[in-house]
Amino acid sequence: MRLPAGVRDWLPHELARKREIEQQMRAVFGRWAYEEVQTPIIERFDVIERGLGEETTDLLFQFNDRRSTSLALRPEMTTPIARLVSTRMREAPLPVRLAYIAPVFRYYEQPQEGRMRELTQAGVELIGAAGIDADAETLFMAIEALDEIGLRDACFDVNDARIVDGILDGVGLDGDAAREAKEYIKQRNLVALRKFERPALVQFAQRRGHHGAIGIARNVCRTPESLAALDALDVLLERADALGYGARVTVDFALLRDLEYYTGFLFEGYVAELGFPLCGGGRYDSLLPRFGFDVPAVGWTAGVERLLIALERRGKHVRRRAHRVDVLVAGSDVVAARERAAGNVVRFAGSELGDDALLDEARAHGIPRVVIAVDGTVRELRVGPRVDGLPVPRTPSNWDAR
Amino acid sequence: MSRPPQRDGSPGDALTIALPKGALYHDAAARLRAAGIDVPEHVGRKLTVTTQDGTTLLFLRPSDVPAYVEFGSADCGIVGKDTLWETDRNVAELADLGFGYCRLVVAGRRIDRYHEGAPLPTFLRCATKFTRSAETWFAERDLPVELIELHGSVELSPLVGLADLIVDLVATGTTLREHDLVVVEEIAASTARFVVNPVRFRAKYDAITALLDRLTAVPA
Repeated sequence: MRLPAGVRDWLPHELARKREIEQQMRAVFGRWAYEEVQTPIIERFDVIERGLGEETTDLLFQFNDRRSTSLALRPEMTTPIARLVSTRMREAPLPVRLAYIAPVFRYYEQPQEGRMRELTQAGVELIGAAGIDADAETLFMAIEALDEIGLRDACFDVNDARIVDGILDGVGLDGDAAREAKEYIKQRNLVALRKFERPALVQFAQRRGHHGAIGIARNVCRTPESLAALDALDVLLERADALGYGARVTVDFALLRDLEYYTGFLFEGYVAELGFPLCGGGRYDSLLPRFGFDVPAVGWTAGVERLLIALERRGKHVRRRAHRVDVLVAGSDVVAARERAAGNVVRFAGSELGDDALLDEARAHGIPRVVIAVDGTVRELRVGPRVDGLPVPRTPSNWDAR
Repeated sequence: MSRPPQRDGSPGDALTIALPKGALYHDAAARLRAAGIDVPEHVGRKLTVTTQDGTTLLFLRPSDVPAYVEFGSADCGIVGKDTLWETDRNVAELADLGFGYCRLVVAGRRIDRYHEGAPLPTFLRCATKFTRSAETWFAERDLPVELIELHGSVELSPLVGLADLIVDLVATGTTLREHDLVVVEEIAASTARFVVNPVRFRAKYDAITALLDRLTAVPA
């Protein structure tokens, strides 16, 4: 009766905490006028491949139906939403603002913390809007969302996929060499980058900063696309400053996200004490055209479990009861109905239980009041504090036999 | 060495550095001392030390360094490239420190003449501690192989017929020579690397780039 690797059950108190985070994220999405959608967990393989390219399909849970149609569990939500918008929402007035909070699936050979096979993503897509206003909207919304859940010191690194292309062109790399160098930049593998014998490349891959760093990159970049991207980052930093986010937003020229569909603005959000990013996103203008709908788009997503890990590490993971119960009622449907009508959460106890058993039950569930009705008399018991112990194994393992 | 290390790395800009015990330790410690960090000559049985300037040092089994860095329990660390191949952890490699040179090789018995092109057995067996690297090397050549994971003296295995080949690290070649083994092919050369957690690179940017500059400024 074991679970497969990389997935987990959520017990009532754990799920309650997760739902709370999801509600907070949903509230932020709503305030920014994003509407939630849902798509199937199963997609046709060709749709996923069209969105993510061949390389990322390694990460898929893939299978066939009985007619040998190749199917896959969705590994992220942007491709399904691109499919949805380019089919059934083609006539919707642009831009379209959509949000989702949904499980996605990735086939990791070695699942680990922050790399689970089933994870929950909360994110948005802003489709049909080009330019810096849309880019800024996604970034500032992500900052607000992390603020909302209590990670007010989360930092955000920003970049633009066109800048790295400008730098590679500027140092005279193209073709396979440029592709290889780009991969090393993404990994920030300075050792491998030094082998290209272009010092500017190594400098670039370790440079983070603000307006000054952008100025330095302007000296290397030549392509009009990369220069425009640098200008846009400059403006973005100013706009972040005006919102009081100046210290939390930094340019990192080596920030390149895994999925290959990004074409422009990129960002990632993180907190200092966690080793992996909490959220990220960017512009993917080439994705919807792959589905025959020629519109630009930008979006971001957060890993809900990663947010929970960050909060738990900070002791903000309040261990709460799954369900607050106000009163334990025994012996009377009428009394219970009256309590519910008064707005209380009522747990119904067996009428055969004695006072001690009722008090035990109330303590075990943290219920402050016990009301007992016997033969027309109604009385209330006082509930004392509860003492916890370690959980006992259901069926202890035989370690000798292992 | 007074306060215990923080659970998730050191606060502020003080760094937590993961160091490998064993063969790389002496050079790694010397290089960090040259970079101004007060690293002890000998570790003894200590697991961790906090220096006067607030740097926390973790003394780890070399193969554990990448995990401590990937999960952010250490901000950065020093580890052999061979360990990075084997562990495949998501860490950023900032500098080749030059010391700890060794080669990962495929080796066999001299009398089998595999090094001179003698045909490999159909049911080929290879013993190694470096299963991930070995798997990749054989897969790249489409060679079917039975990999046998060992933890001790791998060079014994071809001598007693457990394996036809071994994949192992060679520093001077003395061990191979002593057992009449020869290199069939060199897979790659390894040296010590300065690695960093990708998020911590950003979160402690000033401290990490300053340390990187001091580590690479020192002549090897």
